[in-house]
Amino acid sequence: MKYLPLIWAALRRKPARSLLTCFSIATAFFLFGTLQGINVGIEKITKLTSVSHLIVMSRVSPGLTPMPLAHESQIRSVPGVTAVAPFDVLVGTYQRPNNPMIVIGTDLDAMIRISADMMVSPQDAAAMRRTRNGVIVGVTTLRQYGWKVGDQIPLHALNTVRTDGTSDWHFTIVGSYTLQQPDWATRIFANYDFINEAVTTGKNQAIDFYVGISDPARSSAIAQAIDDRFANSPDQTATANEKDYLESTLAQIGNISFLVNGVVAAVMFTLLFLTSNTIAQSVRERTSELAVLKTLGFTDSGVQWLVLTEALVLGLLSAAIGVALASRVLPWMTSGPALSSQGIGAMHVPGLVYAAGAGVATLLALVSGVPPALRARRLNIVAALSGR
Amino acid sequence: MAAVVSLQNVVKSYTRGRQRVEVLHSLNLEVQSGEFLGLMGPSGSGKTTLLNLIGGLDKPDEGQITVAGERLDRLSGSQMAAWRARHVGFVFQFYNLLPVLSAERNVEVPLLLTKLSRAQRRTNVAAALALVGLSDRASHKPTELSGGQQQRVAIARALIADPTLLVCDEPTGDLDRESAEEILQLLTILNQKQGKTIIMVTHDPRAAAYATRLLHMDKGTLARDESRTTA
Repeated sequence: MKYLPLIWAALRRKPARSLLTCFSIATAFFLFGTLQGINVGIEKITKLTSVSHLIVMSRVSPGLTPMPLAHESQIRSVPGVTAVAPFDVLVGTYQRPNNPMIVIGTDLDAMIRISADMMVSPQDAAAMRRTRNGVIVGVTTLRQYGWKVGDQIPLHALNTVRTDGTSDWHFTIVGSYTLQQPDWATRIFANYDFINEAVTTGKNQAIDFYVGISDPARSSAIAQAIDDRFANSPDQTATANEKDYLESTLAQIGNISFLVNGVVAAVMFTLLFLTSNTIAQSVRERTSELAVLKTLGFTDSGVQWLVLTEALVLGLLSAAIGVALASRVLPWMTSGPALSSQGIGAMHVPGLVYAAGAGVATLLALVSGVPPALRARRLNIVAALSGR
Repeated sequence: MAAVVSLQNVVKSYTRGRQRVEVLHSLNLEVQSGEFLGLMGPSGSGKTTLLNLIGGLDKPDEGQITVAGERLDRLSGSQMAAWRARHVGFVFQFYNLLPVLSAERNVEVPLLLTKLSRAQRRTNVAAALALVGLSDRASHKPTELSGGQQQRVAIARALIADPTLLVCDEPTGDLDRESAEEILQLLTILNQKQGKTIIMVTHDPRAAAYATRLLHMDKGTLARDESRTTA
C-alpha cells in the first residue's frame, strides 16, 4: 500500500491518456459484462423452459399470424392433451405514448392447469372469474409500477379498435401471480372473452395456444399429432414444446454463445494492444524517473513490480467500472415489454461474470504489462541517467 | 580518520560501437570520513564514471572498490540496490525529482524502502525539509519550485535515509549564482555540522572552492590531489 502513491502518480502523469485508456477498457468490459450476461441469461432461459407443455402457433408466421379460436376444441380432442389456453395479445401504451405495454387475453384457469410453475391464489383466480375486465399481474411488473389490487390500468391499444370506436381499455387488477423464478413473473393476463368480445378486428382468433399434456416424454408425438390434425386446414400449425421452440428460435439467430464469445475475444485482443502500448509509452517517457528510483535503492524486480502493478491497477479499476456499468444497464435493457410479455424477466450480470471479468482483466494487464515491466527491470541506471 | 571510500587499481571501460574505450586507468583513491571532496577535470576525464562507481551505480571491470566497509565489486545487483538505499544520497545536476509528486512525497521516496511507519516517515520528511529550509513548500510540485528550491528538495531526499556518503554530480550546474551559493553553503553545513562525507563533481571553480580536498582528473587518471581550506 505504501507504494500506491507512486503507482497513482504514474497514472496521473498523463491524465488524459490514462482516462482515455480507462474509458477504452471500461467500454470493452461493459461489452464483456453485457454480452456475457445475455449469454448466461439465454442459457438460463433454455434451462428453465419446460417440455411439460406445448405451444401451438401458425405455421405461416409463428407468433404473428393469428389462428381461428375453433382450433382450441380440436386441439383439446387430441389424445394426451389435458388443457388448452388461447393467447390473444393487446399491444398498447400505458400513461405515455412511449411506454409500451402488452396485455394477454387467455383462459386463466386453463393456464394454471397447464403451467405447474405458475402460482395464483384461489381467491385471485376466483376474482378473475368474477371480474370481466380483471387482470392478474406478475409480481415483478406489479412491483415495477407500484400497482396494487383494485388499481385501474388504462391501456391505449395500438393493434385493434373496440366496438365502441375507441382504442382505450380499462382493466382492474384483481390479483397477482408468481413463479419459481419471481423475476420472470412479468406478464399481464386478462380474460380472453372480455377482449374478444370488444375487438372489431381479429375476433375469435388467437396468436398462440398453450397446451397442457399428460406425459412430457411424449411431447414430440403429441405436437406432431396436433400439427397433423390441421395439415389440410388453411390455418396450419407449428407445434413445439417451449424448450424446443426457444432453441429453434435462437438457432435462427445463430450460435449466440459463439457470437458473443467471438465479439468479446476480438474486443479483448484489440484492447491488449492498446493497453500494452499505453503502458509501454508511459515507461519509455519515464525512463529517467525509473532510473532515479533504482538509484535511490529500488531493486530491478521492485521497479518491475511497480510497472506491472500500474498495469494491474489501470486494468482492474477500468474493468470494474465497465462491469459495474453493465450490471446496471443490462437489467434496464432487458426489462422491456418484448421480453416481459414472453414471460422472461430482466437479465442480470451473474457473479460468475464478475469473477471472469476480474480474471480476464488480470490476464490482460499482465500480458500487456510484462514487456514494459521487463524493460523497466533491465534499465541500466547509468545509461538512463545520461540519456543513452 | 578512517577511509570511507577506497579504490584500488580500478579500471572501467565502455563499449562505443565496436570500440572499447577505457575511461578509468588503474585508479587508486581513498576518501576519509567527513571529507568534502571536489572532483574537477575536463569533460571525458572520468569524473562522473568515478562518481558512479563510488555511488554503487556501476561496477568496475577490474580492481576493488570498498565504500562504507562494503566491497561493491562483489555485490549482486539487488545487494547493490539495498546498499545504495542505506549508504548513499544522490544529488544530480538536473535534480531528477519525480514531477507528479509533491516535494514531501519526493523526499519520502527513499523511506518507502524502509520499515518505518507512515507517521514516522512523515516526521522524518518534515525534519529534512526543515533542514533545507523548505517546510513551507512541502506540498508544492517540482514545477512550482525554483531551480534552487528543487535542488534543496533533492538534497533533502538524499539526506532522508541518513546516508554515509553524499554523492553530488554538478549540483550547481543548472543554477544561477545566488541559488548555487545557497546550495553550496547547505552542503558545507551538512559536511561541517553533521559530518557528512561529500563527493562532488563540478566544473565550476567557485563551487570547488567549498571542498576541503580537490582532485583533478585527466584522461582517466588522478592528475592532482590538493587539500585546501574551504571558502
